[in-house]
Amino acid sequence: MAGSRKDDPDKFPPLGQKMMWLEKPGSVAKVVIGLVLACALVVLADFFYEKHGHFAEEEVEGFFAMFGFVMFTLLVLAARGLRVLVGEREDYYGKKAIDQEESYPEDQIEIKDYDDD
Amino acid sequence: MISVIPTAFLFFAAALVLLALPKKGILRPLLLLATPIIAAAWVWNSGLGNFAQIEFFGLELEFMRLDRLSRVFVMVFCLAAFLGNLYAWHVRDTVQQVAALLYAGSAIGAVLAGDMITLFFYWEGTAIASVFLIWARGTEGAYWTGMRYLIIQIGSGVILLAGVVLWYHDTGSIAFERMTLGSLATWLIFLSFGIKCAFPLLHNWLQDSYPAATVTGTVILSAFTTKLAVYALARGFAGTEILIYIGTVMTLFPIFFAEIENDLRRVLAYSLNNQLGFMVVGIGIGTEMALNGTASHAFAHILYKALLFMSVGAVLFRTGTSKASELGGLYRTMPLTATFCLVGAASISAFPLFSGFVTKSLILDQAAGAHYELVWLALVFASAGVLSHSGIKIPFFTFFAHDSGKRPAEAPTHMLWAMGITAFLCIFIGVFPDTLYAILPYDVDYAPYTVGHVVGQLQLLLFALLAFVVVYRTGIHPPEVRQINLDFDWTYRKAAPSVIRVVAAFVAHVYGGILTFLTNRVNNTMNRLYRSHGPEGRMARNWPTGAMVLSIALLLGATLLVNFAG
Repeated sequence: MAGSRKDDPDKFPPLGQKMMWLEKPGSVAKVVIGLVLACALVVLADFFYEKHGHFAEEEVEGFFAMFGFVMFTLLVLAARGLRVLVGEREDYYGKKAIDQEESYPEDQIEIKDYDDD
Repeated sequence: MISVIPTAFLFFAAALVLLALPKKGILRPLLLLATPIIAAAWVWNSGLGNFAQIEFFGLELEFMRLDRLSRVFVMVFCLAAFLGNLYAWHVRDTVQQVAALLYAGSAIGAVLAGDMITLFFYWEGTAIASVFLIWARGTEGAYWTGMRYLIIQIGSGVILLAGVVLWYHDTGSIAFERMTLGSLATWLIFLSFGIKCAFPLLHNWLQDSYPAATVTGTVILSAFTTKLAVYALARGFAGTEILIYIGTVMTLFPIFFAEIENDLRRVLAYSLNNQLGFMVVGIGIGTEMALNGTASHAFAHILYKALLFMSVGAVLFRTGTSKASELGGLYRTMPLTATFCLVGAASISAFPLFSGFVTKSLILDQAAGAHYELVWLALVFASAGVLSHSGIKIPFFTFFAHDSGKRPAEAPTHMLWAMGITAFLCIFIGVFPDTLYAILPYDVDYAPYTVGHVVGQLQLLLFALLAFVVVYRTGIHPPEVRQINLDFDWTYRKAAPSVIRVVAAFVAHVYGGILTFLTNRVNNTMNRLYRSHGPEGRMARNWPTGAMVLSIALLLGATLLVNFAG
């Protein structure tokens, strides 16, 4: 079963092996830097074209950038608060819900690892 | 008279043929794939018009109203049925195969219904056929979830019928045309559509049931019921202003729940609810372009939502779980599924060059053009929210994030094909929006790819991504933990039963008290009577017979005296 054996990356699908570039030290940092650069670029772009918005705020350079960043952060904070209010254990509704089922019925699916045959 | 066989009947006939085919082998899956293709070709080539009308007890039933609004929905339903059945190629369960055909057929029949009696029959048809996709999971939890689903869906149909009967009484017509909210009849019909469309507070059946269906069943479920309701609203209530506000609330509240939900298929159900909100706003605005926005968004949404359900379903198929807390790092051994999931995520988040971008911007543009500023701001916020749960959470916590140690095999080939074709369509629509615009209900005069649109949308999405990186790295992002979140369904799954239990206990107590009191009274009376009149009682003492003669003589003597005296 999963995780009980040692990995053999050579047997991973080729695309998976390529994507494991992400695990090299520094790769994630590169992705983050790329994102920051892209962010800077799309804000800079705002200064180089004429805007035809319906509302005043759309005319502000970088409005969508600010709105996206702030609202996303607020959303995450609000969701944390919501979890405190509505969070419950998985068996809260007992046997009348699927949430307490440990696994999907295994006779209907094919649970299989990459090196199973 | 019927001049054309209604498209829905093709699906019902296929369901009958399917029963005659051997359970093993490829004939059944082939039939499941061929049916929607034939139906789509049939509808596409039959031209627009009103076919298949019949008289029924003096009512004019219309089985085939094919205009540009119904056609785009029929086409995407056929496409969804094809992709869903391809994804379910491995399923050998007759119940699910038949249910899939009857369900798709009913949904298509409902869209083509020109009158509300026909609509009602197909409306209930979708409810009854689809519940088997939930029950097919075969667990006790799925059974009860299916019952809850069925009660609500059938209830929606009953309310629809009540509304139609009143409408017929008021107007003398059963034609399904645009209505104005006002009378009880129209409110009932509106409520019935609202239940199926998962309006706020009427929405919980969606998040309750879709995660409980089978791996393939959820993919099929995600396409039809709610989009049928969107179609019905667009047909019956376009331009109804209250829909703008209902839709806005619909885009907002699910994003908070989706953020903290652990079961990824339920995250997608919340996300589905949020996407319906955008469509409902478009219907509320009601201009030709807004309705185009709704129809095109429904089309694109069915595809990318199916794609996301397919990718999470493939993970469930290989690991047995769809809980974010148990997953992570699967991209190593399921790279294709991960890639397709990312395409779905980019499409629903409306990245430029993906399908969501060219359809959602139609609706936002119309909201802004009609100067609903707060609504527009809410929709932009909701768009960032979509990125959060469907764009980031689904792919990131399944395939990346912390390594769960799970190394599942890649999804089966037919699932990869289904996902691959769907992913291709998501990109194709994004790159060539005119192909989709060409089949919309009204002529489209809109250019999604302006510098302003693209830059604005990229700013929103990239900075939201940046915010995610910040909150994730700083540990502010809510961790994935094994728990559920109570939603409004708590009221009828927990609170109402508890109240009923308390009330029942109280009533039983009072009833018991009164009963005991009365029984005691009766018993006491009987005891007293027994004591006085019973065998040992004073009134039953054994007096000599002479005593009676004596008393009669006394009585007669008294009568004599009274007579003499009188």
